[in-house]
Amino acid sequence: MAVVQLDSICKRYGGVGPVAVDNVNITIADGEFMVLLGPSGCGKSTTLRMIAGLEDISSGTLSIDGRVVNDVPAKDRDIAMVFQSYALYPHMSVADNLAFGLKRRRVPTADIDRRVKEAAQILGLSQLLDRKPHALSGGQRQRVALGRAMVREPMVFLFDEPLSNLDAALRVNTRNELIRQHHRLASTMIYVTHDQVEAMTMGTRICVMNGGKVAQVGAPLDVYWQPADTFVARFLGSPPMNLFTLPVASNGAEIGGGPVLGPLSRWREATLAKLAGQEAILGVRAEDLHLSREAAGAAGGTIRGRVFAVEPLGAETLVAVETDGGVECTARLPRDVAARVDEVIDLHFAASATYLFDKASGKAIPADGETHRPHAPRGALQ
Amino acid sequence: MTYQNAQPHGIKPFKPLPRLFGRGALALVIGAYTVYTLGPFLWLATMSVRNTGEISADHYAWPSPFRWEQFRVAWVDSAFDTYFWNSAIVVVTAVAVVTLVGAAAAHALARYRFRGNRIIYGILFSSIIFPPQITLISLYQILVDYNLYNSLTGLTLVYISLQLPLTVYLLEGFFARIPQDLFDAAKMDGYGDIEIFRRIVLPIGMPAIATTLILNFIQLWNEFLFAVVLISDPEKRTLPIGIRAFMGDHFQDIGMIAAGVMISVIPVIIAYAFFSEKLIRGMTAGAVK
Ligand SMILES: Nc1ncnc2c1ncn2[C@@H]1O[C@H](COP(=O)(O)OP(=O)(O)O)[C@@H](O)[C@H]1O
Ligand SMILES: [Mg+2]
Repeated sequence: MAVVQLDSICKRYGGVGPVAVDNVNITIADGEFMVLLGPSGCGKSTTLRMIAGLEDISSGTLSIDGRVVNDVPAKDRDIAMVFQSYALYPHMSVADNLAFGLKRRRVPTADIDRRVKEAAQILGLSQLLDRKPHALSGGQRQRVALGRAMVREPMVFLFDEPLSNLDAALRVNTRNELIRQHHRLASTMIYVTHDQVEAMTMGTRICVMNGGKVAQVGAPLDVYWQPADTFVARFLGSPPMNLFTLPVASNGAEIGGGPVLGPLSRWREATLAKLAGQEAILGVRAEDLHLSREAAGAAGGTIRGRVFAVEPLGAETLVAVETDGGVECTARLPRDVAARVDEVIDLHFAASATYLFDKASGKAIPADGETHRPHAPRGALQ
Repeated sequence: MTYQNAQPHGIKPFKPLPRLFGRGALALVIGAYTVYTLGPFLWLATMSVRNTGEISADHYAWPSPFRWEQFRVAWVDSAFDTYFWNSAIVVVTAVAVVTLVGAAAAHALARYRFRGNRIIYGILFSSIIFPPQITLISLYQILVDYNLYNSLTGLTLVYISLQLPLTVYLLEGFFARIPQDLFDAAKMDGYGDIEIFRRIVLPIGMPAIATTLILNFIQLWNEFLFAVVLISDPEKRTLPIGIRAFMGDHFQDIGMIAAGVMISVIPVIIAYAFFSEKLIRGMTAGAVK
């Protein structure tokens, strides 16, 4: 049970050099499942390792339950961590791996036994307690790594991409197992991943990171439907959100013209007045694009382009087009779509599916009035 | 072997050497090498239980009878027991210190970033590539200055300094390949630096440690040059010098010399048999999984 608070946390490796983590401020509530999401190298692991106490904090304060722990060594923080490599001790049996942390903490032997047996039973490891890690499958190793954290009953659980070495089917199972364990334990958990599906499905909140900075923090669907900038818009969603840099009409009623035209009825006139005649970035998600104008509604927008790739995924088909201006755009269309390569097609989208971003900063220009959240995302995530 | 699977269909796999021929050639080489190394040893072993008369009659005959009493004579009548225990004390102490200090130093060099880390490593490495004999005269002078000349303590210290660099070098290479995550996991599990060394590094590094242990043991057990220069007292001779003296005393007695040499070789064989499995694992261990 713990609140983890990061206050202006920065990290420079070796005290000098580039900033790996840049002024991160997040408060992770008690019992929350916080996902740190971002591309490789954006500073997720570094952030997690600073919370763990495995890396020094260059500046800022880290507190757990109000106590500043910047200078508390890892071994005294009462935090457990599950590593991407699992980091099982190769010379110890599964049982010893599970008990290793408890032995150090002078937990009575009977207690250790009970906790190890209990965790092994929950995770289906009871038959494997005498095995060495090298005699386990990837999924079993993963569960031992999880069990090793669980038996400790720590204040905070940390996970660094724990599922990335598993195959697809096992990943889904283990994901569900982790969600179940989070409900059962109700502990604070901080989970690092570069996989948006894991983030969307597991997180109570997600924190999207980019280049060492926090790009956005929020509940998964809030972040998905209201991305703070073009980076978040493209990082969440598969395929990424389509973006077009276009001039806003001088009357502010629409953006673009010719092959790509977007209606701006979501924004108030006052907001648009400032943009009129200047360039901005129009965003449309792939699943909001339709072949028929009716599906998009009357006052919708259009993208005209030449098809250059058709990718049938079974449940649906991805159609990639290139506009006259050479901008690529992907639509997620029904599986029976009749699109052929080199055909010129029109893709339609509803006015409510339009996003607008500032051209210079990439920041979202928030729509006034009704937020875009039209329906449950149709296969928005694979 | 994925070799054949990698061939596209329809193309006959190209075989560089018929498998059987390769195997046969390998067996032949290994066999020849075994005879080359084991032959003289077995010859010596047969001579150790024959007397000199029998040996001069036929150099290569099978012993009959087996004269085991030659071992007793060599042991008791020729102060072999003294040499043996001197060697044992010096070598066991030196190997123990080298192993422990070497492993700790290797761990520190492999795992901790500190100023001068690579400089220390460079110095260690350079001391390996120079032949140790060049230090002989200065070592002699130093031992005399510190009243350690002609003492087993002095010889032990010299032996430690001789074997330490290579030991650190070999172990550093192995320890550096232990994944950092294991150390981080142990830290999260609540362990401090020294406990991590004892409970993670030493057990995981055991194959490598056993390798250096046996190499150091054999090297020092057979060491002659430094012992003969730094020890003068017959009471303090180690086995290699003892055997040399023994050969002087029993110049004609080939059988006795063979028995003496066998006595000196036995501990090496025992050590090897005891650690050989770990030794092989240490030499073939590509990485720590
Ligand atoms: N031990 C280290 N020394 C120096 N730079 C590092 C170290 N670890 C990570 N970095 C750098 O810090 C940045 C963030 O890395 P990391 O936190 O591992 O990213 P992520 O986990 O998001 O992939 C990267 O640019 C990486 O190169
Ligand atoms: Mg990482």
